Amino acid sequence: MTHAFDRALRALASTEDVPDGDLSRPFCEVLRFDGVSVSTFGALVASETISASDDVSSRIDEIQFDLTEGPCWTALSTGAPVLEEDLVTRPGHHWPAFTEAVREHPVRAVFAFPIVFGPFPLGAVDVYSPAPATLAPEQVRQAVSLATAAGRRVLRRALRSLEDDDVLADRSPFSRRVVHQATGVVLAQLDVSPDDAYLLIQGHAFARRTTMRQVAEEILDGSVRFEKHGGLIEEAR
Amino acid sequence: MTTDEREMRIVEAFATLADTLVDGYDVVELLQSLVETCAEVLDVDAAGIMLANDDQELEVVASTSETSRLIEVLQLDAEAGPCMTSFATGRPVACPDVTEAPAEWHAFRAGALALGVRAVHAVPLRLRTTVIGTLNLFSAHAGDLAPTHLRIARALADVATIGILHERTLREHEVVRSQLQRAIGSREVIEQAKGVVSHLRGISIDDAFGVIRAYATDNRQPLSQVARSVVERRIAL
Repeated sequence: MTHAFDRALRALASTEDVPDGDLSRPFCEVLRFDGVSVSTFGALVASETISASDDVSSRIDEIQFDLTEGPCWTALSTGAPVLEEDLVTRPGHHWPAFTEAVREHPVRAVFAFPIVFGPFPLGAVDVYSPAPATLAPEQVRQAVSLATAAGRRVLRRALRSLEDDDVLADRSPFSRRVVHQATGVVLAQLDVSPDDAYLLIQGHAFARRTTMRQVAEEILDGSVRFEKHGGLIEEAR
Repeated sequence: MTTDEREMRIVEAFATLADTLVDGYDVVELLQSLVETCAEVLDVDAAGIMLANDDQELEVVASTSETSRLIEVLQLDAEAGPCMTSFATGRPVACPDVTEAPAEWHAFRAGALALGVRAVHAVPLRLRTTVIGTLNLFSAHAGDLAPTHLRIARALADVATIGILHERTLREHEVVRSQLQRAIGSREVIEQAKGVVSHLRGISIDDAFGVIRAYATDNRQPLSQVARSVVERRIAL
């Protein structure tokens, strides 16, 4: 079990071993459910299913994109897992349109885990089961960790998709220097790796549609600060 | 400084550099002591060494002051100024009076004058036909560099070139490139380390460099190694 989890975590980190289209697979392996989808949506990124293990999974995503309600939206807006063990007999959330729409599909249990990176909401992982089902606390914990690992990848993917990435990176040597300095400040603020600190700056520039240099200068003058609360990274104001 | 003192200082500087080259060294550290020696023995107010990256843009790798204003002027110079011209032609370029700088150097001229720089001299870091960067000397007073000073500047530039490119690798273009990248890469880590120290101590980025340098000197460790330890959080300054 732990072995499968470690393997899945490594797989999510490597774009070479697991292409985006196969991102749902590590979740299937660890959670031992066949129906998993990984999708991006929310304020920052376009609504899109990156990977779905089967047709029903991708249909569940489509329904939620269309209705803008359902487990994945709840997971992302609350920043916490959504665990619906039996939609039909013991619904725990109120999603009238979603519940109605999935009635014709073999969906009894639904679980959703938010995909975030730092303070950026990026999407969710949806898991469904045709029969009522439960997840052990350990499985929930592992799914949350895997979704966090996926967040790093999803953000990189969103950044890559920018038509003109110079929007973010004013590539002059002086800007790079300032960005490296800010990377140092952020990694000290959060105790994260230089790569993650850099990605946070990039994500910030992306979210605000500004340049990395601008964000870096604000980090250096203290007007943008990151703080860690529990396991969550937040922007302090 | 009297002529005798200067001569003594120059002899010492070359002896130290020769020792360093024999004993194994840290490139950024070597270049840092070179710019400091230049400023001292050549009677200039600031000096900087810039190296060309993979995109043939010049990046500041060492400078007598880490103030961002100086770095910015050096970068402007690298875009259109004596430094760029020296890099492009492989010859020393003098700008004895910045107020009379040609129109196409206007951004550099404005930056230099705002910083109180009146004269600039650029000497190429050159190995036969390959120019890898420039040594730049900034003076607060207008006027040409004395011929002997220019001669010393060229000798120091040659030492810097040898320090960057190990003698045995000179024929291999790819290796030259990778060693240039390594020198520029250590600069990246130094910038990150400045950010870390600035955050942890609540001091400015400029002051943070002094703290890192002092630690490196006190503990007889190369600057790049100290910077890496700071970024990896193995030492707290």
